[in-house]
Amino acid sequence: MSTVINVGMADYKTARTPDILMTAGLGSCIGICIHDPVVRVGGLAHIMLPTANGNPSGNLFKYADTAIELMLKEILALGASKMRLKAKMAGGAQMFSFPGKPPILKIGDRNAEAVEQELKRIGIPLMIADVGGSFGRTIHFDVSTGELKIRTIQHGEKVI
Amino acid sequence: MEINQIQLDALKEIGNIGSGHAATALSTLLQRRIDMSVPEVWTVSFEQVAGIVGQLDAPQAVVYVKVEGDAPGKAVFFFPIPSAEIMAQALFQTEEPLDLFSDEMAQSALKEVGNIMVSSFLIALTQFSGIPLQPSVPALAVDMAGAILDAILIEEGTLDEHVLFIDTQITGIPQIEGQFIFLPDAGSLKKLLGALGV
Repeated sequence: MSTVINVGMADYKTARTPDILMTAGLGSCIGICIHDPVVRVGGLAHIMLPTANGNPSGNLFKYADTAIELMLKEILALGASKMRLKAKMAGGAQMFSFPGKPPILKIGDRNAEAVEQELKRIGIPLMIADVGGSFGRTIHFDVSTGELKIRTIQHGEKVI
Repeated sequence: MEINQIQLDALKEIGNIGSGHAATALSTLLQRRIDMSVPEVWTVSFEQVAGIVGQLDAPQAVVYVKVEGDAPGKAVFFFPIPSAEIMAQALFQTEEPLDLFSDEMAQSALKEVGNIMVSSFLIALTQFSGIPLQPSVPALAVDMAGAILDAILIEEGTLDEHVLFIDTQITGIPQIEGQFIFLPDAGSLKKLLGALGV
């Protein structure tokens, strides 16, 4: 019997097989999923912003560059091997468009970039990503198989 | 910032007057009775803000209006899809079904609802506080309520640990429900309270 573990905004959770990690209603935020296919453990982080800017205060789980590292430690503590870890991500949408707004301010894109960079820095391959667009996503991550199920309202459902 | 009971009451009061104006405007627009509840003022951690929209991935129509002026902030309306459709139908005086996800006319009608309500809210706020405030061009998203809310919260690329907002329930007779929230930006709260003399 698998349990579905809910991950809130600016939080992360780790789990062992057969549990499922889920987070509902990702907009500009990103769901980062990391898992070890052999030991079948993994984690899901729901980050909101790209970087703590080297000045971390408050909730460190909200930034890509601090949350991933914290979650990684916990996944390793569950018996995962860093060599085998693989990552997937989803989210990073732009829910509103304001005419004339420079692209540098698109927080969803910046979040996705920050996650990619951070994964590269710590040496975990990003297998696949479903990011961008202008719609929300609810994701379920099966730590046993590494399958990431993505549900949307107007853009169907898929498994990556 | 910490706020005391007197300040809280003052915020509730301006919220009350503002939403009263907004309800009257909507009522005139739709030609039906609209009530807005006495506002609540919440100070919560940003992780808890999501709780206000109910089920995070339930679809809602959300109108977002940035408030510009000397005390900037964000004004947001959440309408369940059936309520938003009823409002759009009322504005076009039609009973034909319409699809909010694709019908651009219905979408602009909803933006107009947001614009008129926020303008009325801000006129009251400005009269009361003496601080000039104007609505920006409204934006609309029809999608998962939680996804839309997170985008609004982090739009500027920053996020305070605590968020204060004024929260009002909208009820229309028949069959309209919704929610209005007003979030002053970080520095604006102090200005508003100062202008109110508390």
